[in-house]
Amino acid sequence: MDAAETFNQIPLSIDPATKAISTSDPSLQDEIDELNRVHRAFVGLETPNGIPPPPAPVNPKRSVQITKLRESGNGSYKKGAYPEAIKMYELAMRMASDRPPWEASGLVREELSALYNNRAQSFMAQQMWPEGALDAEVAVEMKRVANIKGWWRRGQCLKEMGRLEEAADWVRQGLDFERAGPEKQQVGELEALQRELNKALDKS
Amino acid sequence: MDNNGTNSTNGTAEGAFTPPPPKSFWTNLTLPTLYLIILIGSLYTFSSLYRRRQLAKAAKLEPWFPAHKQRDIYLSLLHIDPAEASDSGAGEKQLKNVPDSILKAALLRRAVEDIQRIVQLRSSKPALQTLLQRGSVGDDLWQRFQRAEQEMEAEVKDVVNEANAFAQGWGQVIFQSANEINQNRIIKERIAELQSQLEPEKSRWEQKRAGIQSDFMKELEEDSKPGEAEKKPAKEKKGSSDDDAVLVDAGGPTQAQGQGGGGGGGAKKRKGKK
Repeated sequence: MDAAETFNQIPLSIDPATKAISTSDPSLQDEIDELNRVHRAFVGLETPNGIPPPPAPVNPKRSVQITKLRESGNGSYKKGAYPEAIKMYELAMRMASDRPPWEASGLVREELSALYNNRAQSFMAQQMWPEGALDAEVAVEMKRVANIKGWWRRGQCLKEMGRLEEAADWVRQGLDFERAGPEKQQVGELEALQRELNKALDKS
Repeated sequence: MDNNGTNSTNGTAEGAFTPPPPKSFWTNLTLPTLYLIILIGSLYTFSSLYRRRQLAKAAKLEPWFPAHKQRDIYLSLLHIDPAEASDSGAGEKQLKNVPDSILKAALLRRAVEDIQRIVQLRSSKPALQTLLQRGSVGDDLWQRFQRAEQEMEAEVKDVVNEANAFAQGWGQVIFQSANEINQNRIIKERIAELQSQLEPEKSRWEQKRAGIQSDFMKELEEDSKPGEAEKKPAKEKKGSSDDDAVLVDAGGPTQAQGQGGGGGGGAKKRKGKK
């Protein structure tokens, strides 16, 4: 009765043409779908032995494309074409999250954080505060330290929406993170926002 | 028995006193041996019974984790009869064997599930140990936990071996890849969770903005009632409030935009340098 020696045989079948697996057990359907998805990624692999490469050095092609998209987004932003910029950032986001799943997650976090940060900025420029607040939150979630812009942007959006207490909480949290982080010289902006918030809170 | 028989015949032949010594010799030997046999036998049966019962009890304990789906799928794929499994239409070609790429994908899925389980075990261990020391949880739970740990160790070794069988050196990397897959999954889930807040947040803001606007209008109306002279500036104000509630704190956003834009530009420049 050793569990290491036994397994449950599952009724599986293979489509000979597409080589997709299917099962008659509905409870396993999600897992099988996932397996087929991973399998498609395997088929597209260019490595000689057909196994995923180690996560660390990633294929630079995609990174270059993402950077390009982000830069054209930044260009549109500077020209004031905010919806255009947002579209560019969204394309880049899709590229970043479509990376093969075994590529380094740290890189994905870094890229997504920058993209969400930029998109938050574009939303803010159009005074779309809820969208901006959410994007900034995602950016911070992806990268908590050395991300003063992200903390500041959500704080600002919350302030604009009149959610002063939330904003003050958020900024305090951000200061806690950033003062311990590598960019502690640049917390001035965040501190200014905190002072503003405190003043507004005192008034009300 | 034969000896006994001869002894007894001897005894009857020689007299009444000679038979007792050999008889007592035999009983002397039998009693201790019998004693020993019974003692050892009973001890042995007790211990074996006890151990068997313990094992049965341990086996009856619920496993820590539910069935390992990915492992089952992988092993099922290995044992599948491909010709039978490929539900072929009449003239279609049948697969000779399950393609390697599918097996590899299944193995990777298995490694990902293992990573999730290992993370879960590691994160719950300290808490469980504290609870056990305080006596808040029973011994059963600890036994289940330890068994899960052992099983995971064996499982990881098994996966590494299988991976090395597919490609030399994959065993060293497969869990790294699996870990990244797991991390990437967490990232995606988190983003989806946050972004799902968008609609409620938006409608909340719309409501609030409408509230602010109507409040502002009321205030203005009240202001404009007394004195006709004051009507003009009030009207102007009204006009501005119609544009957008944002103009109410016009200083804020424009300033913010200036700051933010400048700041954003700075950040982008830095990124460009990278």
